[in-house]
Amino acid sequence: MSSTSVNGNPSPQRSAAPTAELAVKIRGLNYYFGRGDLRKRVLTNIDLDLPKGQIVIMTGPSGSGKTTLLTLIGALRSAQEGILTVLGQEIVGLGNHQLVDVRRNIGFIFQAHNLFESLTAAQNVEMAVELIGQFEDKRSQAVDILSQIGMGDRVSYKPDALSGGQKQRVAIARALVNQPQLILADEPTAALDKKSGRDVVTIMQALAREQNRTILMVTHDNRILDVADRIVNLVDGHLESDEDLNHFVQTHDPKILDRRMFIM
Amino acid sequence: MWKRTPLALLNLTHDRRRFVTSLGGVAFAVLLMFLFTGFKNALYDSQLQLLSQLNGEVVMINRRKSNMFVPISFARRRLYQARSFEGVGDAYALYTSDANWQNPETGQTRPMRVLAFNLDDPVLRLPEVSEHMEQLQLPNTALIDTRARAEVGPTEAGIITQLADREIRIVGTFTLGTDFASGNGNLIMSDVNFLRYFANRGPEEDERSFATADVGLIKIEAGADAERIAATLANSLPNDVLILPRDGDSGFVDRERRYWEENTNIGFVFTLLTTMSFVVGIILVYQILYTDVADHWKEYATLKAMGYTNWFLLGVVVQEALFLSVLGFFPGMGVSMLLYNGAGNVTGLLFQLTSQRVINILILTFLMCLISAAIAVRKVQAADPAEVFT
Repeated sequence: MSSTSVNGNPSPQRSAAPTAELAVKIRGLNYYFGRGDLRKRVLTNIDLDLPKGQIVIMTGPSGSGKTTLLTLIGALRSAQEGILTVLGQEIVGLGNHQLVDVRRNIGFIFQAHNLFESLTAAQNVEMAVELIGQFEDKRSQAVDILSQIGMGDRVSYKPDALSGGQKQRVAIARALVNQPQLILADEPTAALDKKSGRDVVTIMQALAREQNRTILMVTHDNRILDVADRIVNLVDGHLESDEDLNHFVQTHDPKILDRRMFIM
Repeated sequence: MWKRTPLALLNLTHDRRRFVTSLGGVAFAVLLMFLFTGFKNALYDSQLQLLSQLNGEVVMINRRKSNMFVPISFARRRLYQARSFEGVGDAYALYTSDANWQNPETGQTRPMRVLAFNLDDPVLRLPEVSEHMEQLQLPNTALIDTRARAEVGPTEAGIITQLADREIRIVGTFTLGTDFASGNGNLIMSDVNFLRYFANRGPEEDERSFATADVGLIKIEAGADAERIAATLANSLPNDVLILPRDGDSGFVDRERRYWEENTNIGFVFTLLTTMSFVVGIILVYQILYTDVADHWKEYATLKAMGYTNWFLLGVVVQEALFLSVLGFFPGMGVSMLLYNGAGNVTGLLFQLTSQRVINILILTFLMCLISAAIAVRKVQAADPAEVFT
């Protein structure tokens, strides 16, 4: 569904050829909070490409604009300046309704699971399936995806009866059930213990590999950095570095890394 | 539509204790509205309890008798004149007067209204009157209303006490109910006994005789048109009497009701109270809906992030409001019916719960919940999906 729009509808300003390979393409993106004298620039001249099938981890100290960038890519805010193409759709200057349509093709995973306590695991996932109008087989879709991530025996449990890791897995199932080409995750493992956190990212990694999904993950959790193809570092609204995993490991002494993580 | 996950219902019922409390709140607002409209209607309806028992299609009263409370009588010969008109089957007189009744147990006196008529005339459509016909023909006897207020003491056959400083013996009971003009209750006696009590009560009281009647009833012949006969009689008879059909828009019963509507604050007071209950209900339901929205703030924002529109969330809140109004309405109505019953027994007023009145309150309840939803929805619309990423 979204792949056809990527190939068939090139954005007006950029030619189709490079865009087709990219899930997200950002050029010269600026973003400001506030107005007038209080206007404060939080993102400065961001250039970033997310090719399909990559897992990109974004790090950076708090206040560096990571979350703002994530919400801009996720069409949760209106971008103001620059070029921001998400799944082939230019979203700078789109109205609220069009932003809602863009969001439907993106899977969101949050630090908190944000599941409805009143709905079972399956019903929470079904809420996402209903969004694209598939009412007939919503239950089987929900059960399928929950089984894939090892929650097949918990489909009719309510969040109260699930552990933190299990709840996060249900939230991931909800984000993935519509097979979005782009998945945005904000600290998905922050509330989880080591093993649950590892399980969660392993599931995400497997999905990206098998189904050519693009994942952009904001995290401070250095235990999971190894799943990334690339690591992007954002400082004070600037892209400080953009390196692949091997290079990152070579250039970051573990002790220094730990200290950096402590600051964050 | 029905295949959707019933999010509104599940959110509402998830916390059982809060759900029951919420329903209690709605039911209470419904109860208040039922109670206040109930009292308003009861005060109006009760004025007509006696009138609806009058056995005549056309009613004749003194023109100056603006309501049943006014003790002005008219010349009884007008009734005889009316009998000569075509279509008139019969015409007979009802005599009424207020008198002090002594409670046989406490000895205290209370005003009661005496209804009297010639026992051969079917003036009231009450079966108890014909059942006690012979006893009522004895001197100083009467029937007492079982729905009289408790102040008059026990209402049963065999009681002997004082009416207008004269001994009276109760030989039976009937069921009517009180209104503004009836004081604490009604007594029924024969016209002959009526004269025994009221013909000569003393220098400060009106002297009553058969020459005057308080309410004249005209029984028309089968197939005749009451409105046309009333118009003919009104044109032909002298102006001192007012002749009206009993029923209909400009009829006697309606005139009495209109008098109390236009000349008392009942309508204003109870409409104000009902409005206040309505507003209290809006606030209660708003609190319930707002709490739900506030508690599920992150989840609703997540739905927005996933691509759900404001309209969908608006629908969830409105559905919750409708569920609350329907589920809260029936317990509220149930308790109201119990209270109607109790209040009716204590006051002798007539509490009628017609289907029209039930529907009116149901509509008010819907409105109440929808207004609350409209206020609470603004909160949901403000849910910024970007806030979920914190």
